[in-house]
Amino acid sequence: MENFSARSGGGRTGLSDRVLGGGTEPDPRFTLANERTFLAWIRTSLALLAGGVAVEAFMADLFGPEMRKTVALLLLVLALLIGGGSFFRWLNVERSMRRKDPLPLPWIAPVLAIGGGLVAAIMAIFVLVRPS
Amino acid sequence: MAWGRTTLSLTVAAAIFLRWMPHHGWFSATLVATSAVTALAINLTRKRRFHRAITGIKHEAIRPDVASIAYVAASVVVLACLGIFTVLLIPVEQ
Repeated sequence: MENFSARSGGGRTGLSDRVLGGGTEPDPRFTLANERTFLAWIRTSLALLAGGVAVEAFMADLFGPEMRKTVALLLLVLALLIGGGSFFRWLNVERSMRRKDPLPLPWIAPVLAIGGGLVAAIMAIFVLVRPS
Repeated sequence: MAWGRTTLSLTVAAAIFLRWMPHHGWFSATLVATSAVTALAINLTRKRRFHRAITGIKHEAIRPDVASIAYVAASVVVLACLGIFTVLLIPVEQ
């Protein structure tokens, strides 16, 4: 495939070559779709971050300090995993497209589901059993 | 639009991080600054990114924006680490 200059937006830079390795360029729409999916995961991570801050800052009347800290930490750790995992998901999908390999399974999806479910369950149980 | 929504999310996150300042003092300003700087950087490079995408689709070959992707991911990881550090080690100011 013709190698375009960096200004034209096509072709590879040194960084792209080093990070993505060999293979052939996929349809540009697939690359852009992969980028959009990455940004969706990033926004999810930011929402979890904001949730962790909100629990720690706004729920002093609802939870004691230890409970508040635990729930906030769970949300922040989940945000960390999703944020970091989204980059590796993007990279693995980009490499698979270039090598025409099957797309990898997104492990951050079950992490988000299990982590989010755990936090919701903890808060639901606490709200149900705490004395009024 | 995806980058625009991400900029908006970072801006909202920066505003929420401000809520921590009465509790955890000026250290929480690092979260506000990191979010705001990342949102600003995405906004300032918006035109370059648009032209890159248009040119790439026209020529049927696009260079993945590895640097931008890595920067945004690193920013979110740093924000999460700063948040965890704040909750664990920065005492709540009375």
